[in-house]
Amino acid sequence: MTDQSQVAVRVREVMAQVLDLPPGEIGPELSTETSSAWTSLNHLMLISQLESEFGVVFSNAEVKGLTSFTAILDALGRRRDSVA
Amino acid sequence: MSQQEIDSLALQRIAAGVEPGQAWSSYQAAARALDRIPAGAVPDRLRARLALLGSFTLEPFVPVLRVEAARAGIWLDIYVAPYGQYLSELIDPNSGLYRFGPNVTFLAVDPDVLWNQRWAESPPLKTEPVVGGLLTPLFSGLDVFDRAGTGIVVMNDFVLPRRSTEGVNAFRTKGTFAHTVAHANKHLRLRLSLRDHTFLFPLADVVAQVGRDHAFNWRTHYRGHVTWSDRLMAAVAERYVGFALAAMGRATKCIVLDLDNTLWGGVLGEDGPAGIALGPQWPGSEFVDFQRELLDLQGQGILLALCSKNNEHEALAVLREHSSMLIREAHLAAYRINWDDKATNIRDIARELNIGLDHMLLIDDSPHERAWVRQEIPELRIPELPSDPTMYASWVGSLPSLIVLQQTAEDTQRTRQYQESHSREAYRGSVDSVEAFLRGLELRVDITQVDDDSMARVVQLLGKTNQFNLTTRRHDEPTIRRRTAAGEWRVYTMRVTDRFGDFGLTGVAIVAPDKETWQLESFLMSCRVIGKSVETALLSRIAEDARAAGATALSAEFIDSGRNQVAAGFLPGHGFTEGPDGRWTRSLETGSPQWPAWIEAASAVSVPAERQRETIG
Repeated sequence: MTDQSQVAVRVREVMAQVLDLPPGEIGPELSTETSSAWTSLNHLMLISQLESEFGVVFSNAEVKGLTSFTAILDALGRRRDSVA
Repeated sequence: MSQQEIDSLALQRIAAGVEPGQAWSSYQAAARALDRIPAGAVPDRLRARLALLGSFTLEPFVPVLRVEAARAGIWLDIYVAPYGQYLSELIDPNSGLYRFGPNVTFLAVDPDVLWNQRWAESPPLKTEPVVGGLLTPLFSGLDVFDRAGTGIVVMNDFVLPRRSTEGVNAFRTKGTFAHTVAHANKHLRLRLSLRDHTFLFPLADVVAQVGRDHAFNWRTHYRGHVTWSDRLMAAVAERYVGFALAAMGRATKCIVLDLDNTLWGGVLGEDGPAGIALGPQWPGSEFVDFQRELLDLQGQGILLALCSKNNEHEALAVLREHSSMLIREAHLAAYRINWDDKATNIRDIARELNIGLDHMLLIDDSPHERAWVRQEIPELRIPELPSDPTMYASWVGSLPSLIVLQQTAEDTQRTRQYQESHSREAYRGSVDSVEAFLRGLELRVDITQVDDDSMARVVQLLGKTNQFNLTTRRHDEPTIRRRTAAGEWRVYTMRVTDRFGDFGLTGVAIVAPDKETWQLESFLMSCRVIGKSVETALLSRIAEDARAAGATALSAEFIDSGRNQVAAGFLPGHGFTEGPDGRWTRSLETGSPQWPAWIEAASAVSVPAERQRETIG
């Protein structure tokens, strides 16, 4: 398994727990626009749970912009690159 | 009840999917598993209604609280007041809080409310107006709660959320944040202690337990007013559940203790009384401290019992003679020291004390015994005792089911009352008929209406009596006061004594005195006086009062709670007949239920002497 797909698995797991969705429904099409479970309060908790899970702190701009599965993966990917 | 009833064990299995201290998202997932339990599948006796009023965002706390409740085997229906509305919800008698009708209301108030007030004006206000500015409306709200609310209110103390920058003199400088918080806490303690159904939640203690650096999540605090960290939420939830258990009448009533490696170090049968570890120095001092903690619980009315595989005379000799033993025979409500299996012995203790096994808790160092008893008696509480005895004393304080809310005069004497019942049982063996037994007891009852002195005990009995209880309706003090003042209820209390001792206030009846028919809204006896026919005396008194007021019948209900079978025969046994609607009635045209001849009435006012002679003759 590549490093990137491992990240995707962990993100899926956290999102499934916080948003109460089956992991299968969590994919590129999932966003605050398409999901009614992704409320502003769940967004707050999701960001904070991802921060603990991956040991990162998102910037204010990121917190506001991380409104889709893809955006979250991209943000975590950028961090890995800059760390590496 | 539905076809597939959910019990405590099923709830505990769901909660077991989350380890305490895991991330919030695991709690969220487990709470969703609780959501999938169909409404109505959880029986009422396992449910409590809980309201959360906060000065910050509490929604994320809900799943944590529900899962910790499930861990304790109960189900919570939770109401969360709109964000920041804690004062207006309290003050408005038509608010969502009062419509919800909770058993327990938690006020979670952040020190930010003091901080903001302090900085609202420049220069910062002095301490007193800042504190008064919050506490004055808060206590007005609690006054409204006394009239319009149900159940108990629990409010936290204020905690300085970070190290103060106000300097080392802050605590003696008026107007600083540190001084304001200290002053607010002092007043909060004082004023809460003067109220009956309002309790202080020791948040500072929970923050200390978690560690302040781990207790607050500043990112979620600033982003969305979610101030408590995952860890603090879990630790607070555990303690909130303790309050809920106590308010539901499901707290532990009796702790059953093992001896070897539990109350002392080593094995008495092998090491001998001089060889066991128990004394002022280690090894041994850790057991002395543990015994101190247990005696503090006993002092609040929780019974202690022993269940140990030992030779009885050897174990009792340690209890009587060992100079460092703190728990003595006088502290024990019952003991079984023998070589029988522990499940049998514990069932025996439950029978002797008349306490349900689900109100008992076993402390035993042997994982093997714990596992075995757990399998035999699933409803018994059997927490995992730490393997290291130096942890015992701090561990026992963390058990949520050991919260005692109301301490009454009866509580502090409870052990003595159970010991007197040993003498009664011995006496029972020596007489040959039930009536002769009862006559020889020299029973005496004092039946009066509830007053200020007896109110706390009445509320306590209503809240926790499960066995001899016709309706198992729980009422709180404001409700009782309101309805008695309105003339809708008469609340009877009964004190019982016999030649062996005083049982205290052990009977309560609530009567709705309609013109023709007096209805028994509640009727209960503490298990301590079951089997003495004193319930007949109380019913007889109510019937006489009803007749004197011109009523012609008594009406009553028996609501099967699954635990009150001992009361099932009471109504048919006293001339009540069941109607098609399930209500029981008894005509008073031909007289009242007969006052038992072997019971003396203490207050001659209510039962005239000539009537007593009549029934005796």
